[in-house]
Amino acid sequence: MKERGCPLGILIPGFIRFLREGHLQQSYLEISERNCFPAICGRICSAPCEKACILAKDGNPIAIRALERFSSDFGKTRSKKEPKNRNGKKVAIAGAGPAGLTAAWQLALKGYQVTVFESMDKPGGVLRYGVPEFRLPKRILDGEINDIKALGVEIRTNFLVGKTAAIEDLLKEGYQAVLLATGAGITKFMELPGANLTGVYYGEEFLMRVNLMKMNIFSQNIPAFPIGKKIAVVGSGNTALDCARAAVRLNREVTLIFRRTQEEMRVRQEDCEYGKEEGVKLEPLTRPVEVLSDAQNRVGGLKCIRMDYADVSGDGTWDLLPVPDSEFVLDVDTVILAIGHRPNSLIAKSESKLMLNDNETVYVDPVTRMTPIPGVFAAGNVVTNAGPLVSAMASGIKAAQNIDNYLKS
Amino acid sequence: MFEILNKQIVTQDIKRIDIYAPDIAKKVEPGQFVRVSPEEGDEHIPLSVVDWDRKKGTISFIFQEIGQTTGKLGSLPINEPIFSVLGPLGFASKIEKKGTVVCIATGIGTAQILPICRAYQKSGNKVIGIIGAKTKKNLLLEAQMRIACNKVFIATQDGTYERKGLATDVLKDLVHKKEVDFVYAIGSIEMMKEVCRLTQDNNIPTRVQLKPIMVDCLGMCGSCRVKVDNKIVFACVEGPEFDGHKVDFDDFIRRMKGFEESVPCPHKTQFNQQKKESGPLMRFLSGILSD
Repeated sequence: MKERGCPLGILIPGFIRFLREGHLQQSYLEISERNCFPAICGRICSAPCEKACILAKDGNPIAIRALERFSSDFGKTRSKKEPKNRNGKKVAIAGAGPAGLTAAWQLALKGYQVTVFESMDKPGGVLRYGVPEFRLPKRILDGEINDIKALGVEIRTNFLVGKTAAIEDLLKEGYQAVLLATGAGITKFMELPGANLTGVYYGEEFLMRVNLMKMNIFSQNIPAFPIGKKIAVVGSGNTALDCARAAVRLNREVTLIFRRTQEEMRVRQEDCEYGKEEGVKLEPLTRPVEVLSDAQNRVGGLKCIRMDYADVSGDGTWDLLPVPDSEFVLDVDTVILAIGHRPNSLIAKSESKLMLNDNETVYVDPVTRMTPIPGVFAAGNVVTNAGPLVSAMASGIKAAQNIDNYLKS
Repeated sequence: MFEILNKQIVTQDIKRIDIYAPDIAKKVEPGQFVRVSPEEGDEHIPLSVVDWDRKKGTISFIFQEIGQTTGKLGSLPINEPIFSVLGPLGFASKIEKKGTVVCIATGIGTAQILPICRAYQKSGNKVIGIIGAKTKKNLLLEAQMRIACNKVFIATQDGTYERKGLATDVLKDLVHKKEVDFVYAIGSIEMMKEVCRLTQDNNIPTRVQLKPIMVDCLGMCGSCRVKVDNKIVFACVEGPEFDGHKVDFDDFIRRMKGFEESVPCPHKTQFNQQKKESGPLMRFLSGILSD
């Protein structure tokens, strides 16, 4: 039953059996059959497999994620998977994030010559600029990416497809297929009065500054942006929790504000408990109303209102509504808004032939996953909208299959 | 990879760097910028591409050393590579035939407006350049501007060179003579705000270039958000050029002031005009260069 829980199709009972019998390396090979990032998924996967586990009903599923992590940390061995005979066909991939790298891995194994174009200065995408060091050490990430490079995948950093070279240029240069895997990293702006004050950051900016520029407390670089002592983080997803936990590590007082209850947060409860243990104060059932300013136009406080479930209409539907007269002011001097992302389909601004759906995802044919431009495919969160890591990786695998079919025919 | 081919001290703390970046040089258009990070782990800063040579594959930028990152960039020697240069970013300016175009710039904005002046002149406009500077010593690229424009007015605040006063005073006179069809402004926010106020009263279309603080310059961080037409937009991917009459300058000033007041901010492009104490060699060199 359990293998169905994994979008990547890892044979979960298989690798656990190897572990039980003490064959660590065998178990690692079993996982790496379907997953190019076992060490990463073992740390930050949202683990849909644990929800699908038959023991989940009792509330104690098998800790598959932890087993995967153990297996990859201690049983890591050179995979026997070698690229097939090179077929001489070139494929370009835009975006060295989870989806792009997974597709590159699959295509390289199928014998294609793959080049991944990345706009940041190092590959990894959200795994590098988004996920903080304490959840995913950069050392682990580098190791996994080096394994992919070892298959002959070329990664070209500082190259923004659509600006540094248009898609057409790539097709002219001899790439027979282009895969757009630009992810969903665009900040969603929040309609909140006072959101433009100094001291209001979006989650992406905060994490990016902490992750990329080594602006943590242990480095010699001083924090290069004004950040106060008391921080309110708004949001209930992984970004919000990561921001809160990163801020705690910068020795700040952190309050996490979200509309719903803790059980409804879109994070693993385990991570939430870690956060609490580290000192993040949770304020569930609270909604920010306005960012108050002080005399210098900085954040002077955050006005919030309590929320609660109420059955107003009386027909048994419980809606989340603000509690009347429950407004209060949180004494904070920095606010971090982490309320979600939009798909990164900015490339459509310079490529008029690409079509966008209403929710700004790139339109692809549902069967072939090809965009209206022949030979140009799209995969990952730019197609599926913001989603967990494994679904982006699964999408990358499927796109690799589609590209293979297209180039063979 | 991105090797520094040439380096030049323009004035006191303003430097020009030419780097080898053939991919960028092939694509860059007036008004676009690049994202530069001098060394691994440094901040990424946006810098306007001032000049480029498509055949040689080089691009140049002129910047003021006002913080940690720009200081580090300025201290890199010739033949040393820059860690990361990404571009060209942002939309190219829409260059059309308008008639008489006034290009007004102050401070480091003079360097950024130079390719715009060239492009407008090339497409058959009469280009009038207005340069504002604090003193004669801070004035840059006068010769290049004189070539790129049909006419150049210079205003210095202390009257050490040509007209005494602000750049906007010159514009006011021109606007009163009713011979301006289009205005393009780059410079301090206060100057751009004043220009837009002047042209709005006289119904002259105006475009401005905004360069707020950016982190990744790709539309992800949201740091460069500005209010345009009552909508919050990213300056990095939807700009950097905007219709000046639609920009909410008060909001922009408030946001930027906050960054300016915070002490440890390595990158305050355009906004901190304070001069660093420079050594005797630099003073000597700048003395030669400004004459």
